[in-house]
Amino acid sequence: MALFILRRVGVMALTALCLTFVVFFLTNLAPNLEKLAKTQGNARMSDAEVISWLDRNGYGGPLVVRYGEWLGVVPGWLREDPINGEWRGRCITRGQNPEGAPRYCGLLQGDLGYSTVSAAEVSSIIGGRLQLTGILMFWAFAVMVPSALLVGVLAGMREGSRTDRTLSTLSIATTATPEYVSGVIFIVLLASSQVGLSPLLVEWGWLEGGTLFFGSARSAMDNVTFWNFTLPVMTIALYGMGYIARMTRASMAEVMTAQYIRTARLKGVSFRNIVLKHALRNALIAPFTVIMLQFPWLLTGVVIVETLFNYNGFGWTLVQAASNNDIELLLACSIVAVLVVLVTQLISDIGYVFLNPRIRIS
Amino acid sequence: MPSTTTPHLATHPAAEMYAREYKAGQLSRREFLVRSTALGLSAAAAYSLIGLKPAIAQRATPAMGGRLRIQQGVLALKDPRTYDWSEHGNVTRGLIEYLVEYNRDGSFSGMLLEGWEANEDATQYTLRVRPGVTWNNGDAFTAEDVAANFTAWCDTTVEGNSMAARMGGLVDADSGQARDGGIVVVDDLTVQINLPTPDITLVPGMADYPAAIMHRDLIGTNPLDHGVGTGAYRMVDYQVGISARMERNPDHTYWGEAYLDEITFIDLGTDPAAWFAAAEAGEFDMTYQTVGEFVDLFSAVGWERSDVTTGATVCVRPNQLNAPYDNVEVRRAILEAVDLSVVLELGMNGQGTVGENHHVCPIHPEYAELPAQVVDKAAALARLQAAGHGDANFTLVSLDDGLTRFTCDAVAAQMRDAGMTVTREVLPGSTFWNDWLNFPFSATEWNHRELGVQILNLAYRSGVAWNETAFSNAEFDQLLDEANGIQDADARREVMARLQQIMQEDAVTIVPYWRSLFRHYRPGVVNADMHPKFEINVHHLGLSA
Amino acid sequence: MEPLTWSGDLGTFLNPLMGFAVALFVAGFVANFALVLAGQRPGEMVVNADHTLSLQRTPVDFALMAMKYAVLVLVLGVVGYIIGGMVLADPTRSGILGAMAARLTPVWLSLVALFAVSITFKRRLGLYGKLFDSPIGMVGFGLVMFWIFTAAFSGMVATHGPITVISQMRNQLPGSPLPNPTEGQYGWYLLGADNLGRDVFSRVIYGAFEVLKIAPLATVFAFMVGITLGLPAGYYGGRLDTVITFLANLVLAFPVILLFYLLVTPEIVAAGIPNYLSMVLFIFPIIFFVVLFNSRFRTDPPRRNLLVGATVILGGVAYLSLISNPSDPNLPWLFRLWPEMLDLFDIPGNLLIVFVSVVFVNSPTVFRIVRGIVLDIKTRDYVAAGQTRGEGPWYIMLWEILPNARGPLIVDFCLRIGYTTILLGTLGFFGLGVSPESPDWGSTINEGRRLLTVYPHPALPPALALMSLVLGLNLLADGLREESLKD
Repeated sequence: MALFILRRVGVMALTALCLTFVVFFLTNLAPNLEKLAKTQGNARMSDAEVISWLDRNGYGGPLVVRYGEWLGVVPGWLREDPINGEWRGRCITRGQNPEGAPRYCGLLQGDLGYSTVSAAEVSSIIGGRLQLTGILMFWAFAVMVPSALLVGVLAGMREGSRTDRTLSTLSIATTATPEYVSGVIFIVLLASSQVGLSPLLVEWGWLEGGTLFFGSARSAMDNVTFWNFTLPVMTIALYGMGYIARMTRASMAEVMTAQYIRTARLKGVSFRNIVLKHALRNALIAPFTVIMLQFPWLLTGVVIVETLFNYNGFGWTLVQAASNNDIELLLACSIVAVLVVLVTQLISDIGYVFLNPRIRIS
Repeated sequence: MPSTTTPHLATHPAAEMYAREYKAGQLSRREFLVRSTALGLSAAAAYSLIGLKPAIAQRATPAMGGRLRIQQGVLALKDPRTYDWSEHGNVTRGLIEYLVEYNRDGSFSGMLLEGWEANEDATQYTLRVRPGVTWNNGDAFTAEDVAANFTAWCDTTVEGNSMAARMGGLVDADSGQARDGGIVVVDDLTVQINLPTPDITLVPGMADYPAAIMHRDLIGTNPLDHGVGTGAYRMVDYQVGISARMERNPDHTYWGEAYLDEITFIDLGTDPAAWFAAAEAGEFDMTYQTVGEFVDLFSAVGWERSDVTTGATVCVRPNQLNAPYDNVEVRRAILEAVDLSVVLELGMNGQGTVGENHHVCPIHPEYAELPAQVVDKAAALARLQAAGHGDANFTLVSLDDGLTRFTCDAVAAQMRDAGMTVTREVLPGSTFWNDWLNFPFSATEWNHRELGVQILNLAYRSGVAWNETAFSNAEFDQLLDEANGIQDADARREVMARLQQIMQEDAVTIVPYWRSLFRHYRPGVVNADMHPKFEINVHHLGLSA
Repeated sequence: MEPLTWSGDLGTFLNPLMGFAVALFVAGFVANFALVLAGQRPGEMVVNADHTLSLQRTPVDFALMAMKYAVLVLVLGVVGYIIGGMVLADPTRSGILGAMAARLTPVWLSLVALFAVSITFKRRLGLYGKLFDSPIGMVGFGLVMFWIFTAAFSGMVATHGPITVISQMRNQLPGSPLPNPTEGQYGWYLLGADNLGRDVFSRVIYGAFEVLKIAPLATVFAFMVGITLGLPAGYYGGRLDTVITFLANLVLAFPVILLFYLLVTPEIVAAGIPNYLSMVLFIFPIIFFVVLFNSRFRTDPPRRNLLVGATVILGGVAYLSLISNPSDPNLPWLFRLWPEMLDLFDIPGNLLIVFVSVVFVNSPTVFRIVRGIVLDIKTRDYVAAGQTRGEGPWYIMLWEILPNARGPLIVDFCLRIGYTTILLGTLGFFGLGVSPESPDWGSTINEGRRLLTVYPHPALPPALALMSLVLGLNLLADGLREESLKD
């Protein structure tokens, strides 16, 4: 088991290394660097000025060397300004003497670099944003998983029944409704003072002006309430729910045809007890894997929802970093994203082994 | 200098002349105020010259205390001289202040300056520093601070210092620094500015957002790094792209009145729909700007509307360095095909007045009225075919935002109506702004300037930095020089008429409309009116008593 | 002209009927629910003493029956609208719904013809025919074919052009008449206008074409790539498998949205990345067909040479035309080598990058599925039999294993088109890649989002269209899965 985990972690590290290099490569293509120079320096720079700007700010060296610097295996760049003799470098703040500064400052040293757009250390930005997204994910899972399991179990316990058909079709419908569609529909129905439910409620005197739910989750960053967080959470939960429910249904339906369930039924155990005591536990093994694998899948949803509802979490940061070519922030985002994908894969593998006694890893 | 006892009633021979012109109906009130206050009259004095009560002096007095949340982009800060968005100025205005403030009615009033006088031909300005102002680090604010800032503004070697262009003749063209003897500290509270040529735009320049006054020892730094300023507030929290929060500085005695205890700028991105959703969710109290359909929407949910007519517009311009736009007939055909009233309707939601394909707005004092533009789609196509470009495919590039994008979509639709082939391309801001001067055919948003000549100098003179049309016309340049030297608006108007005509004849750019700008705020917010240059003056803001 | 009402003259009769049906359905549902909670059960078959069967009806049965008939009435109402709209022809009388139904006449006719033919011959049509035994599959197939026919007939169905602007119409509500229609112009905007005065109905119709132009084709390419790599990886195993699987997992570990943001930007297009990617990805279909024909007709050299030669020549020309664009001076020299006169078509950079990206993110998943199936099938006896017969490995992979893997692959194909549609919509939603005035559904939803809270009518139709197409594909996949499992 230890060897298995060790090998998986090794592959993970290799994957993360390759992926960050790809991100690094794409963000450091010549046109992207030119864009960076012009946004950071001056929009009217000539080509020669762009090259000198890039050189002065440490983007001049070969790609692999700069990747090494970011990784922390190559010493950070250091240049003396020819005009005023000031030292500039990756590891030093402006004007600082290079002697006192560390030679390496990259990922391995725990330094994620500097965000050019926000003018702040990446590590100071990404932590808070992750926390915000964590809250959103927590609530999304808290809504999605129990309801999906319930729907799946109800549908799967009597395969082919009318309940099964209705719930299955509903599950399919939710998987066919991407976040940007459901979010839009939710806002129209519940968070508009002009159309949908809110004007009706105001008319009936059940609501004093304004809207029932809020179409913006900005205030949820400070203070989560039922009214400002329901729509983003529902939008994320709805799309993921159908998939988990269908997996649960399939697993439940399979378990219900198993020999031991048939035996129990023949013994006269009540249907309720069969479902609750015998079938449920075994039926939930497969959905566990699916739920874990939902994490990375939800990332796209988080990006859409955070953009739609103006919630400045990780997904929003990713969009900002990508659209502004904020290289080091984007790299940090991709590390986080890749880690989420790989760690959840690992957990789902290990968890599957633990939950399912039939599988043994030698 | 006129010898009067009370400086506020100090008057100026030229100002008295303007007052006569105003009374004779030759000058609009707005223009009168711009010009007379730029010469050093206080707004009150200017109003009294023309026998009116000053409207601006009657700003309501809000209650002390309270918190206000303002929707506005929160950008990374830098050396104020290099500010390139109004938002930069707004977010630091509570901390670092300006010498002069441009008011909504077009007049100027003193902030860190108590007053200023210009000599008769506007070549010498005497600036009187407000006494009793201190920096929040305890130092006194003196003429040395003012002079140091002027010197710094004139430094053309600083990358992105846009103040140098506003200082005009004060910059020595050879050294790229301030002219010797141009900035004289007379005493602790007086600074004299000596210009080689008359310049009526110096005071407007001092009121612009990059002209924030920094401590004399801290010039060239980011105000966020040290927090030293003369303003009533201090920055508590600054997160780019998210929010900026400032609170009343308890360790500092502010020279003026500031009402609010706390001000938060909330960045909700560039999508007005998101602003509206956040407004409905009660997440802020005042918008930076309200655009398009959202003007009616905000009003519909009970917010107060404030508007101001400006010379702001969107220029849909061909760049003459690129074929086929180097052919004047092609440009004329494009202009002839586009019905500007439709562009106003679709691009601006009808909020503004129709433009005339030249960049001088009717509210500019020197505006000359020309015959109306003719739209003839059939003739336009015939003209294009005659020029041999009947099958040309025009690619119209724009920014991916509401205003310029819809304006370009509307222009493209008009051209298609005339039988031309148009492809539209939209680019994200980060890509668009890197290349905005060089696109063969694209659109640019231009803000309001106080005088008509200012914008012609900035964007249409041969070879100037922001000349996005690549327009180059010797006659135009010469006439523009001439116009710059004429103080009297009526005399200037004759030259302007020809300048405007040249722009139309050469089909330089489509100027579809003059925008009205809107701002909304919750009932109970005081002094939050829209400003022609998008300024938010936090020291006036407050909540009603 | 008067604005149209939603239901027109038809509504006076059909609306109460459909309202009654809905009420009946709700009543039935509530009654059923309450009765079941109260312990009532549906009636069961009872064997009488005289060996006859009798069905005892309980109240639950009546409730269920009410629901069934309610649905039937509802369907009849919808059909009534469609036929009514087609018969009445005059939009002022048939209302918006009827007018839309009338515009869609070619689509209905095609659907009816297709279903009639398919159901008649369903026993001879294999898996496709079996689809018509499953109601869910039929509904899904109907939805998908509805949009395919709509896309195919978009020129006939749409009332106006996708980017025709009538400025006075901006933000007008559904059913608004044109201010001064010219001769031959359709007089109304059936689903209203967007904020630029374009017809929402026509844009949704043309949007179907935009979406169905890319999604299935991109999925086909993704399958070719996935199959070409998945077959040998699963069959041979070993180091080849390890390397390809690692690469596939690498792409899969990439968050899709980040990948798109990195790939679909003007800078990346300028750097020629889409051309390099397409150079790699588009070679796979050629390899696939060459190997396919080569393995099949190895024993018949003339035929093999003909087919392989044709594939190489036709595919090669198409391939080179696709990846190179000699008229674009900004591209790297490699893509400008191909002579201008042989360059059959050029795909604009932004469309190419969208296409390539979609293929790129989809193929690893297909690869994993194919590899999994091959690992399973290669242990079967008929594969061993083929091996002992001396069949080449590629023959076994392509002509023994692949046909036996078709069930799950077809199901996944349907699901994947739906997923690709969602993905394309996501791109449109973020304003990436597609051209600004494109009527594709993602972009239209994104644009309509701006004024959503006041004018929901421009955003909702494309949203519902996208949902129904994806739902159709999912239901179709579900039906196919169910039927293929019955074997």
